[in-house]
Parts: sequence; C-alpha cells; structure tokens
Amino acid sequence: MANYLAQFQSIKNSCDHIVIAVEDVSDLWPTVKGRFDERLPFRRACLNNKTRNPVFVENLNAEFILTTDSRLRSRFPQEQSLFWFREPYATVVLVTCEDLDEFKTILKPRLKLIVQNDEREWFIVFVSRAHPSNDSATKSAKKVYDKVQVEFSTKKRERCCKFDIHGPEALFWEDLESKIMECVRNTLDRRVQFYEDEIRKLSEQRFMPIWNFCNFFILKESLAFMFEMAHLYEDALREYDELELCYLETVNMIGKQRDFGGVEHGDDQAALLNPGNKPLSQIVQDDSFREFEFRQYLFAYQSKLLFKLNRPFEVASRGYSFVISFSKSLTLHEHKLPFCMREVWVITACWDLITASSSEYKAGVVAPDIEKEFYRLQGDLFSLGRVKFLRLAYLVGYGNDIERSPVNSASLSMLPWPRPSVWPSVPTEASSEVLEKEKLILQTTPKTKHFGIQRKKLPLEPTVLLREANRRRASLSAGNAFEIFDGHSVMTDGSGPDGSSKSPNPQKKVGISMSRTFSSPGNFEGPPDRPMRIAEIHVAAQHALQGTISDEDLWKSLSTVEEFEKKYLELTKGAADNYHRSWWKRHGVVLDGEIAAVCFRHGNFDQAAKSYEKVCALYAGEGWQELLADVLPNLAECQKMLNDQAGYLSSCIRLLSLDKSLFLNKEREAFQAELVRLAHSELKDPVPLDVSSLITFSGIPGPPLELCDGDPGTLSVTVWSGFPDDMTLDSVSLTLMATFNADVGAKAVRSTTAVLKPGRNTVTLSLLPPKPGSYVLGVLTGQIGQLRFRSHSFSKGGPADSDDFMSYEKPTRPILKVFKPRALVDLAAVISSPLLINEIQWTGIVVRPIDYLLKGAILHIDTGPGLSIEKSFVIEMESCANLSQSEPDTPNSSGSQNGSPTAYKQSEQLTLEDGKVNFPDWASDVDSVIWVPIWAKSDSLPRGSSSVSPQRPNMVDGMRTIALNLEFGASHNQTFERTIAVHFSDPFHVSSRVIDRCNEGTLLLQVILQSQVQATLTVYDAWLELQDGFVHAGRGDGRPTLVSFPLAVSPTSKGGIIFNISLGRTIGKDENGAEQPESILNIRYGISGDRTSGAHPPVAMEYSGSDSARKDLTFRSVLVLQRPVLDPCMAVGFLPLPSVDLRVGQLVPMKWRVEILKDMEDKEISKHNEEVLYEVNANPENWMIAGRKRGYIPLSKKQGSRIVISVLCVPLVAGYVRPPQLGLPNVDESDISCNPPGPHLVCIMPPALSSSFCIPV
Amino acid sequence: MIVCVAVVGHQNNPLYIQSFTEADDALKLHHIVHCSLDVVDERVNNPKKSGPTLNETFLGLLYPTENYKVYGYLTNTKVKFILVTTDLDVRDVDVRNFFRRFHAAYVDAVSNPFHVPGKKITSRTFAERVSNIVKSFGLSSTG
Repeated sequence: MANYLAQFQSIKNSCDHIVIAVEDVSDLWPTVKGRFDERLPFRRACLNNKTRNPVFVENLNAEFILTTDSRLRSRFPQEQSLFWFREPYATVVLVTCEDLDEFKTILKPRLKLIVQNDEREWFIVFVSRAHPSNDSATKSAKKVYDKVQVEFSTKKRERCCKFDIHGPEALFWEDLESKIMECVRNTLDRRVQFYEDEIRKLSEQRFMPIWNFCNFFILKESLAFMFEMAHLYEDALREYDELELCYLETVNMIGKQRDFGGVEHGDDQAALLNPGNKPLSQIVQDDSFREFEFRQYLFAYQSKLLFKLNRPFEVASRGYSFVISFSKSLTLHEHKLPFCMREVWVITACWDLITASSSEYKAGVVAPDIEKEFYRLQGDLFSLGRVKFLRLAYLVGYGNDIERSPVNSASLSMLPWPRPSVWPSVPTEASSEVLEKEKLILQTTPKTKHFGIQRKKLPLEPTVLLREANRRRASLSAGNAFEIFDGHSVMTDGSGPDGSSKSPNPQKKVGISMSRTFSSPGNFEGPPDRPMRIAEIHVAAQHALQGTISDEDLWKSLSTVEEFEKKYLELTKGAADNYHRSWWKRHGVVLDGEIAAVCFRHGNFDQAAKSYEKVCALYAGEGWQELLADVLPNLAECQKMLNDQAGYLSSCIRLLSLDKSLFLNKEREAFQAELVRLAHSELKDPVPLDVSSLITFSGIPGPPLELCDGDPGTLSVTVWSGFPDDMTLDSVSLTLMATFNADVGAKAVRSTTAVLKPGRNTVTLSLLPPKPGSYVLGVLTGQIGQLRFRSHSFSKGGPADSDDFMSYEKPTRPILKVFKPRALVDLAAVISSPLLINEIQWTGIVVRPIDYLLKGAILHIDTGPGLSIEKSFVIEMESCANLSQSEPDTPNSSGSQNGSPTAYKQSEQLTLEDGKVNFPDWASDVDSVIWVPIWAKSDSLPRGSSSVSPQRPNMVDGMRTIALNLEFGASHNQTFERTIAVHFSDPFHVSSRVIDRCNEGTLLLQVILQSQVQATLTVYDAWLELQDGFVHAGRGDGRPTLVSFPLAVSPTSKGGIIFNISLGRTIGKDENGAEQPESILNIRYGISGDRTSGAHPPVAMEYSGSDSARKDLTFRSVLVLQRPVLDPCMAVGFLPLPSVDLRVGQLVPMKWRVEILKDMEDKEISKHNEEVLYEVNANPENWMIAGRKRGYIPLSKKQGSRIVISVLCVPLVAGYVRPPQLGLPNVDESDISCNPPGPHLVCIMPPALSSSFCIPV
Repeated sequence: MIVCVAVVGHQNNPLYIQSFTEADDALKLHHIVHCSLDVVDERVNNPKKSGPTLNETFLGLLYPTENYKVYGYLTNTKVKFILVTTDLDVRDVDVRNFFRRFHAAYVDAVSNPFHVPGKKITSRTFAERVSNIVKSFGLSSTG
C-alpha cells in the first residue's frame, strides 16, 4: 500500500474539490453545462460531520464531470476504494424526452440500468426544451416528466427534477442544489463510514508486527482530505491530530530504530508550514515515515487547516509547542545531525511561524484575551528564535557584542551547548581567519560599567566554551582539562598568536568535510594533538555553520557583526513589541532594555535612555532592587551623555538609595561625588530633585513641641541620610502640614547649613510663628549647590527602608502644636485696699505666667495722672512661692545653689529705666510680685463730714491707674497690656458732731476718726485749728479734752476725740489779715501695716530704719463748723401720753409744754403781750377734740417761762394715727423748736369688747 | 536541580529569593522570577483560562521553556512562590509537595511576631528550612 503514496499525493494535489458525475443520457450537457457551472461553487451547503451533526459549509467547491470523462473512466476498482474520496459524490442523470413512447421503450430501460448501481447517489434532471408558447410540446414534456417521476421517485425520496430551459429557473436551481447536496451528504456519510471502519480495523492491529503505518496514514489522510474537500475542516483537523498522536505513539516504539532524517541539505530550514516540502515517497522508511520530515508534514497540514479555519492564533500556539517538542527530538538526534542543526531549525521555524501567523492574523477579529495571547505567542516565538540566534552568534565569536544582561544570561546560560558527536575543527585554509579572530579578541576591551562599578559578568554560556569544545573533540581525556585552562590563560594573556601560527592538523579536514553530515560519529580520524584555542573554536564553528545553514538570510545575519546586530535588533524588537501587546509587560520592558543597550552602543542615547527608563520604572515599581541596580547605572550614563542633568542627578539619587549591599562603598561614594560635583559646579540653573528615597526624616520622639500663638521656636528633626559620606547641605527647610486643614498647610522652617553624616542626624530648624493648630511633618527641602532637593518620606525612627518602595504614608503624630491665643500671663494688683495718699507707697503687681516662660520679659510701667513712680527708690521683685504651682520639695534642689528658683523665695532689686523693668531669669516661670514705689498726690485737703456737710469723700477721688505693658516671649513677640487701678485714700475719714453743752455757750465738738486703710493707725496727737467764729474753750491750745494719746485705731474701726469750743471771735486772727474759713484738724499719727495687705508706712520711712527714728505722719482734714443759722426762741414739746393703752372712744388728755427759750423782747409773738395764740390741729376723722381748739395762753416773754397746754381728745378710729398737733400761728416757724420735730404716730386700740356704742365718760 | 526559589509579595515585590547555583549569577534568576510574574498575573487576571483551577493554589508550570521550568504557587494572600528548576522531567506531584512544604515554612516565617508583613524575609531559620526542602526535593516520592 505504501506504493500508493506517490499516487496518493498526486491525487491529493490534483483534486481539491468534490466531483459530481453527469450522466448525459440525451446529449444535453453541452447546452446546459454553462448554466450548471455558473452555480459553482455552491454558496451554502449542509453536510454532516463525522459525528453526523449537520454543519453548514460555504462556498463548497465542486466540479461537474461527465461520466464519459477519462478521469472517471480509467480507474481500477482497488484504486477506487482506496482513493474513494475522489470519486463522484453525486450522479446527475440528464435526460430529455418529448414522447411518452420513446420514454417507455428506450429511455426507461436505459435509466434503470444507470441507476441500478446502489453505490451511487443519483437523481434525474429532466430537461424540457419546450418553449412555453408551444403548448402541446409543454404538455407532452410534462406528461413524460410525470411518468419519469412515477418511475423513479419513491415516497421516501424525490429523485427527479425538471429543468425548463425556456422557463423560469430559480426554483429549479434551488431544487437541483438541494438534491445535489442530499446526494453529496449521503455519499459523504457512507464514505466516512467506510473509512472509519477501515481505520478502526487497522488501529486494532496497531501493536502487531504487521502493522504498517503508511497504510494507516493513507486511510487516515484520505478521510482527512475528504473532510477538507467538503470544507469540514474541523473534522479534517481532528483526523490529522489523531494521525499525529498515532504516529508519535508508534514511531518511538522500542525496538524499531529508524532514521530520524534531517540530514539532507535544506533540512535546516524548517518546513513546518510547507506541506509540499518533500514528497511523501521520499520520507517513507520501511513501514513508516522519517520523523524529522513527517512531523513537520503533519504540522504543516494542521496549520493549513487552522488557517482555513481562520485560527492563526492556534497555529502560533501549536507551533510554539511543536517547536519546543521538536527541538527536544532534535536534541535526541543531535549527534547525527549537522552542527547546530537544531538551533538553525528552531530559528527558521520560529521565523516561519511568525510570518505566517501574523500575516493571516487580522487584529480585532478575535476576543481581546485571545488577541493578547496571540501576541504573547508571537513574542515567545520571537524570543525563542532570538535565543537560538544569540547562541549561534556566540559560537561564531560575537559573544562580546552580546549584552551580558540578566535576560540574555537567563536564556543562554541554561541552554546547553550543541552536542555534535565531534566538535568541528578548523579547516586548514582558515588559519588567516583564526589570526584575524584572535586579533579581534585581543582588541576588544572588556566593557566597563559606568561609575567604575565592578561586577562579575553574568554568564552567557552554560560552561566554558573552550572546555566544552575541546572535550567534544574526540578523545581529549579529563586529564587534559588542566591543559585546556592553561591554554585559556595563554590566550588571555596575549601570547595566543604564537599558537595560531601553527597550522592545524590536516587530518581535521576530514572533519570539516564531514561536518554537513555527521551521520556516523565513528568516522572521525585520529585524536587532535592539542586543544583548540577560542579563536579557533569560533572559526571552526563558523565554517561548520556555513555548512549547516542553507538559509542565505540567516547566514548573512551571522556573517558580520553589523548584520548580526541588525538581525538581533529585529528579533528583539519583534519580541518586545509583541509582548507589549500581550499580558506579558515585564517581558516586553526587559527586552526594551536590550534594545536600549544596542542603542547605547551606537550612541543613540536618547532612545536608550527612554527604554532604560521604562526598565528602571518596572523594576523600581515592584522593588526588584538587584535588577534595578544592574540597569540604573546604564540609564545614568545615558542621561549623562544626553546632558540631562536632572535625570542624571535623580539617577544618582536612586542609585544611592538602593540597598546598600548592592554596591560597594566605593561605588556609592562615586555616586555621591558625581552628585556633589554636578551640584556645585556644572549646573547652571537650579535643578529640582526628589531625594525621598535617600533622605528621610522624622520628628524627635516624645511629645510634640508646643508653642503659643505667635511664638517662634526651634524644631529638631531627625534626618536619616542615606549618603555614604558626609553631605553638606547649603540649606534645609521643612514644611509642616496643618492637620486641621490641608489648604493652610505649609509653614516653612529654615535652617542654615547642615552637614549630614551618614545615618542619623539631628537638624535644628528655626520656626516661623505659625498659626494655631497642630502640625505634622510635610516636606523636607533644601539646597546642595544648585540642587534643590526635597524629600517626602518619613522614616519611622530608622533609616530609609528600602523595602518600603510604595509607602509614603503620612505620619499622623503631630510634631508641633501651636495653641490658640490665650492668656499667657496675668498682671494684677496685689491688694485692692487703699494705700495712703500723698505718701510714697509700695504698690505690688503680681506677675503670674500661665504655663509660659517669661524669659527676658520687659515690663513697661506707665502711671496715670496724679500718680508718679518714685524714682529715687529701687523697684523690688520677689517671687511668691505660695502662688507658684510647683511644690518647694523639688528633690534635686538641695545642695545646688541654683537648683530650682521656685524652691526659695527669691527677691531682687531692680531699677526702672525709661519706664521699663527687665525681668530676672528666675522670674521666668514663677509667679512674682513687683513692688513699685509710687506716690499719689492730691492737693486738696480731705474734708470731714458733719451734719453741715454730710457727704462722704468720693472713692473715685482716690483712684489712680497704672498702665502695664509686658513684653515677653522668645523674641518679645508677645505683649500683655493691662491697666490696674490703685486706690488711695487718707488714713481717716473724719466726721464731726457739735453738741451744745447748754452751759455757758460751750459746744462739744466730737470728731470721729474712721480708719480707711487696712492698717493700724496710731494717733499720737491731734489739734484743731478753728475757723473764724469759733474759739477754743478751756485751755485753748486746740488739743482735745478727755482723750489720752496715743490712740490706736484698728482697720475699719472708729475712734473719737472731743474738743471744747465755743462761739466767739478771736481778735488776734484778724491781725493776720487772712480769715480762716474752715477749721482744720491736724492729726499726728503713725501707721503700722503690711504692703501686702494694704496701706503701710511710707517707703522712705521703711528705709530710715528702726522704730526709734520713727517719723510720725500728719494728717490734716478740714472740718467745717457753722454757726447755727436757726435760733428758735420757743420750744413746743409733746408731753408723753399716759402709759395705758389708748382706746377708741376713750378720752385722752393731750399735753404740750410751751417754753420760752430766750428772751423774746424783740419779737412780736402776739397782739397781746404776755399771751400766745395756740391752735390744735387734728384730723376730724380720727380725733374728736373735746376742749378749745384755739385760744390764747398766757406766757411771759422772759426766758425760761413755760406753760403746759392740755386738750381732751377722743380717738375715733383704731390704728396708728397721727395725734393732734399744737401750732402757734402767731409765731414764726423758725422760732419754734418742736419736739418731736416732725409728724409722729400713736397707737389706738380698738374699743373694749363689752361696750357697744356706749361711750363711757 | 532546583536553581532558585522565591517568595514574591502581593505587590509583586520580592520577599525572598534564594538561588542554589554555584555561579555568581543570581541576577539572571531574579530576572526569571520577575518575568514569571507576567504569567502569574496573566493567570490571576484571566480566571476564565484557569477555569477549574481557580481555587487552586498551585499554578503549575508557568514557563514551557526548553532549558528550565518555572513553577508557581499562589497563596490566598496573593503571595507567590516561584520555583525555577533545570530538571526537565519534574513530576507535578513533587512540585506540589514542595510548594506545600514551602508554604508551611513561609507561614511559620511570617508568623514570627518580629517579622514585618510585606517586608523581606530575613529569618535564617526560614532560609535553612527552605534549603532543606530544596535538598529533599523529589526524594520523597522517587525514593
């Protein structure tokens, strides 16, 4: 059966559509062929797939072939069954007949003969040539057709249709197509069934020795091909998949050693998308196929079907797995394959897959995730090809041009070297190339990393190539390893060219000639006499590859460094671009870095920087510091080249802020040196820079600094420097953020130059007066040369945590609290009781700081009118410990002289300068009292009060004010103003009473001294200077009588002094010419009081010392005495009523006594001498007067004459009523002194109960 | 041979990377682990694809490369464990077993009250335990 392979293939190639046989019974075909062919391909058809489910296919290709055609005729029956798929799927019997008899006699038997073959699906097309206008012809045609239907159609199946050439066609075509489809469907089903049965039969014998894969293959592929023809691609694909499975299962059966294949020229180019690469008959081997070709063949068909199914994504995905698994197979057979065949094959396979799938792929057709996956696969294919390409390039000596990056290292260093049976040797004619190569190797200087970073280079090779190559060269024993390394060192230290001058062993020529077909490893003759040098290995590999690679494009890419780089870029870019379009962003970005490295090498720094930035951002974003440390120096170098100072600086900062273990200290210092150099010299304009990762800061642990509103202050912050060396900052400032309101946040604090040591530093910043509120740390900014740096990151009490790449969390702990304006200090007068006026007195001002230091405070004292500060005396300041909050038992105060000022009562004398007092230091935090000597002056003499001038002195008169202004705070920014009132008064208030002694006209003058101050006053002496009209009675020295001095007057108590005076005139006074209008009381007194409680001895006296030198004070007060203005000459007195109760209706005698007080010679009191008119007035509702109401009474005008008038009265109502009054109408009221002087009331009881209206007499 | 194991935090930040190669080429393993996060991300972000393994912590083979294999494991706190091995014939059971033990070790390490969550794992005990797990990889089931 295997012999049919060639035929099978040619059939497949020639036939790609289903065939419909036309049995042209009535020679009609030439006339209708054109119209039949027009219907092709069938636009829509419904077929059954392998599982007998209807599937709609479109554009089904078909061909009408006459049964008489040679293609259908000349087939052997066996062929027919084997290649059944190409047999007609339907037979159209084309007949026409207009005569019923003719039909019966000729046509019918013929038709019966045709359709008796059950194998065929047939139906009859009756062509009616009758013109519709020709009625009889139409009718007879119809009759014949009816007959045909009766004969051939069954109830089950309609097998006839009628085609009117001149009639309407649409219906017929529809009918025809459906009939054809029915036939095709049936045929297909039958054939599928047939193939399936055959295949099953063969499958069952799969593990038998007679099993022949080729037979199985032909059947299986025939089925697949049939499906493909019927556009049932899914089924076709499934057949191929099964075929592949079956092949893989059988091909590696133990005991069957087969040729792998792949040793022919051109095999290195993958043919996995080219099904017609080799004819099947060429790859057949025994009863099966060579794996190398056949698997590619199968994949090619699969991908072809997938493309037809419009699934390029699947091609890529299956292709990638295929390449991987096929590559494994190649590895297994590598010893038989040409040198690096595997690599070359993978490269070309990837390349083919990429081009094919991407050209078939239409973006946007599939679901987004499939699309991403597709691009990912493209990227994978690109990078797989890229890796293999790099490997080849390394072998031919472009290793120095391959970046030793992690990505290259990861893919190359784990990729084993090719394992040919014998490593290729240098051909003889290549000695000049070896020389050249060696020169090149010597010339290449190892690339140094920027900033002098020294790193061990990442390996690109799984093992040392030199060793591997020499080991693979025949029989270099393990003992030669030493030699190899020796040779290596020789090569590297420059004495290599010596060795290369030796011509290689001519025997190696054989190896070269064999290099294309290393089919038999034993062929290699003779052991090489010495190990190869690296240049030789490269040259040998190059020559060997030249033999392997048949793809000119690939070979060109490996021929020169430039071409290599071009291809390398192409592959890398392809991979990167596709990865970018997929989910695998990291892969894409990392490959961008590889592109950047090439750009960098070619001086395209701009592009390089852009790509490197992406890579750095990727690594930095996720905290892969080790990888970042590898790329970042490259970025920095690019930026340096581009003169991108900001970027360069920021890269330096980032380098510095990487984990310390990633760089040597020396390298880190180099970064810093770069930074400082740039900052101080090269920068023209200030450059902003974020150093958050390097400089972090935090507040000093503990409670926040508390400030009062308006106070400046200093804030200490801990700054962690990540610099490896000391760093001088030209300025540092810190922004504080208010916690209450984000808008009104920023308050800058400044500091001057600061030097940051590596690690922890404490920086003190002076604080501008902030607004009230609490603040947290904001941004640290500063300047290094022209560099304006800022840091947003807060350390939590430790150095910048490199792991914390995403945490810029704000510290919530306030660092500064500024209180709302409040009273910081209180000034008050010590006492409220009055001080002595006109004397120098101490007035105390209590200074009470309220949780606030008064360091360096200045008190301005400004006295109001009528008050002055006595400058000749010092001001005293003392602490009042009893007021201070702290207890005196401060433990550490003992022993230390200045331990705690509050523990002792401090006192200090201060001087007043320009009305200002400077506070001593000790007074800054304790309550203290300032004693200021003041003198309230009052020119007016105090006036005593008496019945004549009863007013008391006004308190306001003694009021004085002191305006105080305290400047305090750290920079005297706080002020406190207060005006305190000081009350002054005379020591005494004097009041007087004068009483007639009724004896010789002497008057008693009682002077009452009331103390007005909170001090004990002692009167030592008192004398009175009388005004005109009065003279001293008695001794006449003006001293009081009846008083023994000294007289002590306690606070707020009274004392009295009595003077004897009489009316009279002092002649002597007139001589002075000045009349004294008022009397003046002089009191010599002493005062003993405490300034803390009130009035006290004057300041001057205190200084004068002890009691012995006591200086008495003098108090003068005006007393106003008045001569009597009223001088009554008569007195009327109401005599007391009887003691018994007055009752209503009871008769009461009212008595008045009238007395002449002094001689009334000159006054006319009545017309009648010696008689006085009287009149009793009473309210008639209250009183009934029983006697004479009005009349004359005899009374002599002589002094002392008296008479009693008695009148009977009856009270009429009970209660308090006004008694009747006696008036003397003829006498002037001013001459009468009444007693009681005003109206008064008497109590009248109600009448006794027993008596009714009966008034007892 | 296991060449590298890694713990990657839920923000894809490396928490622990230990390579077990002789050569000084840890960086390339960093790269492999880092890039394999692409695959983890893809699987996590496309639950459709992972299908029935949605609730499975073991992510399986991430990379079907020719030369090494990368296996992944995703804890329920989105911490990823990555295993890079150069063994090309690795049994899934072994890897699952490895990850289970590794997970236990990780849980013990981060349960240390002195460990700051989300920070690199610096515990020496953890490192020792991991290297023991790595050494015994594949032994239990093969032997």
